[in-house]
Amino acid sequence: MNRMNRDAWLAVALLLFTGFMLWASFDIREPDYGVLAPSVWPRIILVIFGFLSALYLMQSLRADPESAPEGEEELPASLMGYLVYWRNPIICFGLFAAYLALLPVLGMLLDGMAFVFVLLCALGGWSLRDIAIHAAVAVIAVGGMWSVFTYGLRVLMPTGMLIPGL
Amino acid sequence: MIIENIILAFGEVLTIKTVLLMTLGVAGGLVAGAIPGFTIAMAVVLTLPFTFSMPPSQGLATMVSVLVGGLSGGLMAGILTGIPGTPSSVATTFDGFPMARKGKPGLALGLGVWSSFSGGMISAILLVTLAPQLARVGLEFQPWDYFMLVMFALTITASLSGKNLVKGLIAGALGLLVRTVGEDEAVGMARFDFGSEMLLQGFDFIAVLIGLFAFSQLLNDVRDPAQARKSLSEKGAIQARIEHRAAIKEIAKRWTIVLRSAFIGTFTGILPGAGGSVANILAYDQAKKASKHPEKFGTGIPDGVIAPETSNNAVEGGALITMMALGIPGDVTTAVMLGALLIHDVVPSPTFIAEEPVLAYSIFIAFFIANFIMLFLQSGMLRVFILVTRIRMYFLAAIILGFCGMGVFALNNVDSDLWTLLWFGILGFLMRHFGFPLAPMILGVVLGNIAELNLARAVAIDDSFMPFFTRPWSLFFLIVAVFSAAFPWFQNARGKKMWTLFYLPVACFAVALPLAMMALQHGSVPRGVIAVIVVASGAYILWQRWQSGWNLQAHAGPDLKEG
Repeated sequence: MNRMNRDAWLAVALLLFTGFMLWASFDIREPDYGVLAPSVWPRIILVIFGFLSALYLMQSLRADPESAPEGEEELPASLMGYLVYWRNPIICFGLFAAYLALLPVLGMLLDGMAFVFVLLCALGGWSLRDIAIHAAVAVIAVGGMWSVFTYGLRVLMPTGMLIPGL
Repeated sequence: MIIENIILAFGEVLTIKTVLLMTLGVAGGLVAGAIPGFTIAMAVVLTLPFTFSMPPSQGLATMVSVLVGGLSGGLMAGILTGIPGTPSSVATTFDGFPMARKGKPGLALGLGVWSSFSGGMISAILLVTLAPQLARVGLEFQPWDYFMLVMFALTITASLSGKNLVKGLIAGALGLLVRTVGEDEAVGMARFDFGSEMLLQGFDFIAVLIGLFAFSQLLNDVRDPAQARKSLSEKGAIQARIEHRAAIKEIAKRWTIVLRSAFIGTFTGILPGAGGSVANILAYDQAKKASKHPEKFGTGIPDGVIAPETSNNAVEGGALITMMALGIPGDVTTAVMLGALLIHDVVPSPTFIAEEPVLAYSIFIAFFIANFIMLFLQSGMLRVFILVTRIRMYFLAAIILGFCGMGVFALNNVDSDLWTLLWFGILGFLMRHFGFPLAPMILGVVLGNIAELNLARAVAIDDSFMPFFTRPWSLFFLIVAVFSAAFPWFQNARGKKMWTLFYLPVACFAVALPLAMMALQHGSVPRGVIAVIVVASGAYILWQRWQSGWNLQAHAGPDLKEG
């Protein structure tokens, strides 16, 4: 997929998003009071957003496909290539989503330690030495931050079902 | 009254706990600034959750300290390793690194440290003197003017923060749109909630900021597996002793460069959207143009270190002037500061300094004190800060992501903020990938409510849209918004197209119109004088261009884009 196609597709997606949001703006209730109806400001933004997206589409369709901006990396052509290219960010997002899903079970302290430990290993390696270092870093860093928030700033961090109180 | 407020503000800031927190803040900022890829804005964003439980003056003093530390941290990595810690210290490496390689790392560091200090102090003085004056001007603003001011801030940020203006404007509009989700502030009606309780509550804008900026930046930094496992910087000497006396002597000899660069920095900071990365290049360029030996720039001369380091530290004083006087953030970091004020139920506006004088003056004082702490810490803990750059990126990313989770939860003690963090982290990452600048979006998120409330007030007062074009301040901001929107085209075409020769003179003539209107309406002599000066400047530029035979190459200038 060359650059022009990518930008053009993105512009089309933005236009579809604008249309969807404009349609959704008609669900906003209009009260009998107040001068500026609650739907007016979002619609003004959406009209501008749609106009800019159309401009972006035109710009990307007119652009020379060979003239990719300087300094931009060459992106992989296949889906597999994309997955390899984006491996680390995908791991980070996936692990963060798992961290959020497990929060009610493990609680902030254990969940945080587990998240940092697994992420460190996933990004840095799984050798025995790495595992030991990553475990120590996770326990010290998350434990330290948790203590600062819990005891220093008196924030009630979520506790888990697994070990009540932690 | 002012003296009384200053004394009270000193009382607020000069407590053991606050000074200790400020020292930690400066140290944290210095560390963050020293790490390539870790921006100052990210450091300030991540400090925010710690400040919730603090009194406003203490929390803001801590954040100001992180900011001051971050601005100075970049120079150490830049001078000793050649890799600028932050975009605002890029120009410092042009002469700082060659000077260090020539065997004078101590002098280069000394010049950097003392220039940073001088820039910070000069801009602090300008902050204290200019902010209350600008706030007085801001009291004249009516809702139409305020709305246009927000539009101007968004437009100029979009035009300066990326290569593609359309993408910048789309990002700004998206930021405004994000802020409309949930109950509207005026009448409390649900908007874009799609039946979800989480969407009905709206997005907590601090979670949005942390997601957009910090989360996405970290994922960008670890994108390449090989780079993620490498130390942040592996080259350059860390054995250096700062030569304070020699540096002070060199700086004293070049006081004109210091003053000029501090003014460039402060006024760049006042301009919404332009930050340290613009100021340091601009100051370097101006120092080179004014030098008798411009050919020596880049070889390791003191002028090339003094100019950028003075200006990049002066930027935040300028950005704070705009934020405190008008309630408009000058850049991403002050946008976060504005968020911190809102969390403490303080709404920055032209009346802020008048209504919250102790808090306002405690920010001024914190800015002064933080510069002294920075000087002390940089002198004594240089080695520690440089050692930080030896950390592998993936360690930093994993720990900070874990911290983001805790920090965001601490905002409101609700899980939904954590999901907001994740979704906006993904959005920020995609935006970076597709070349959309984040600064306009962040400003859009921060200023969205202010724009809507002022539009509602304007319509409530007068249902005609004409005041947007007939009120002098509103017209003034509209004109500067139009010219700032055209700025990227001017920037690209400068030195190539004939029309660029007329851009600045026409801008001057156009801006003079609302100034003249103000002078006539208020009978204000100073504004009339300013209008005449602006017209005369436009005419002089035009005359200069005519004298040079409409030579395009003679008027090509430096690139002014945020890095």
